[in-house]
Amino acid sequence: MDLTAPVLTGYGMWAPVAWLAAFVAATIVVYLLWKTGESSYKKGTEQGRPYLSGNAEPEKGAVHIRASNLYWGFLQALKGYYDAIVPLHTGILTDYMIWFVAVTAVLLVIVGVLS
Amino acid sequence: MKLTKSFNRSLWVFHLNSGSCNGCEIEIVATITPRYDPERFGIKLVGSPKHADVLLVTGPVTKKMAPKVRRVYEQVPDPKLVMCIGSCGQSGGVFYDSYNLDGPIDQVLPVDVYVPGCPPRPEAIIYGVVKALEKLERLEAAQ
Repeated sequence: MDLTAPVLTGYGMWAPVAWLAAFVAATIVVYLLWKTGESSYKKGTEQGRPYLSGNAEPEKGAVHIRASNLYWGFLQALKGYYDAIVPLHTGILTDYMIWFVAVTAVLLVIVGVLS
Repeated sequence: MKLTKSFNRSLWVFHLNSGSCNGCEIEIVATITPRYDPERFGIKLVGSPKHADVLLVTGPVTKKMAPKVRRVYEQVPDPKLVMCIGSCGQSGGVFYDSYNLDGPIDQVLPVDVYVPGCPPRPEAIIYGVVKALEKLERLEAAQ
């Protein structure tokens, strides 16, 4: 089997040599564009940060749409559930231990009654 | 300082108000009107310091504006020139003894060309731009 020969799949064509030639051509074009850039550009300084009327650049989340906006509809649809469940997530380990012990006790009672 | 070929084509200017009374701004706007038309020489105002060769600063540099002035100066690509327009930038002008100044401008930035006046006339501003170009040519010749 000749790996360099074009393959006709019925849906399209796969020609490794043509693809490689296109890749090399694109790389050369990208390199030439890169070479025309300003060599005195100082990376990692204010020159690389956006111009915001002289103000410091805020944290990205403060000026861009946060990822949480993507599931806003989901949260809105289950608002009643989240309103009840979110306050329970206090972030305090002892709270979670109390919940764990309490739920385990209830389960043991149910299992004991059923058996 | 290494000069790029872009200086041979045009000189793009970014204007920054560091606390000016707006008198110099009015004269800068008058400078770019068709009466003087510096754009025919490739000299024009741009909207971002990242596109500029020259930073044109007006005002005496208030304490609130000083960090912003420094930041904008750092955002101008090298090589760059700073032009100080008006008396306030040179000496503080009528605000010279104000409690609220970090300036004048040469206390905050390295100034290359001073254009005196309160406010300077458009002819004086254009003369200052020519002086800036001459300075660039001298720098280029020295390279």
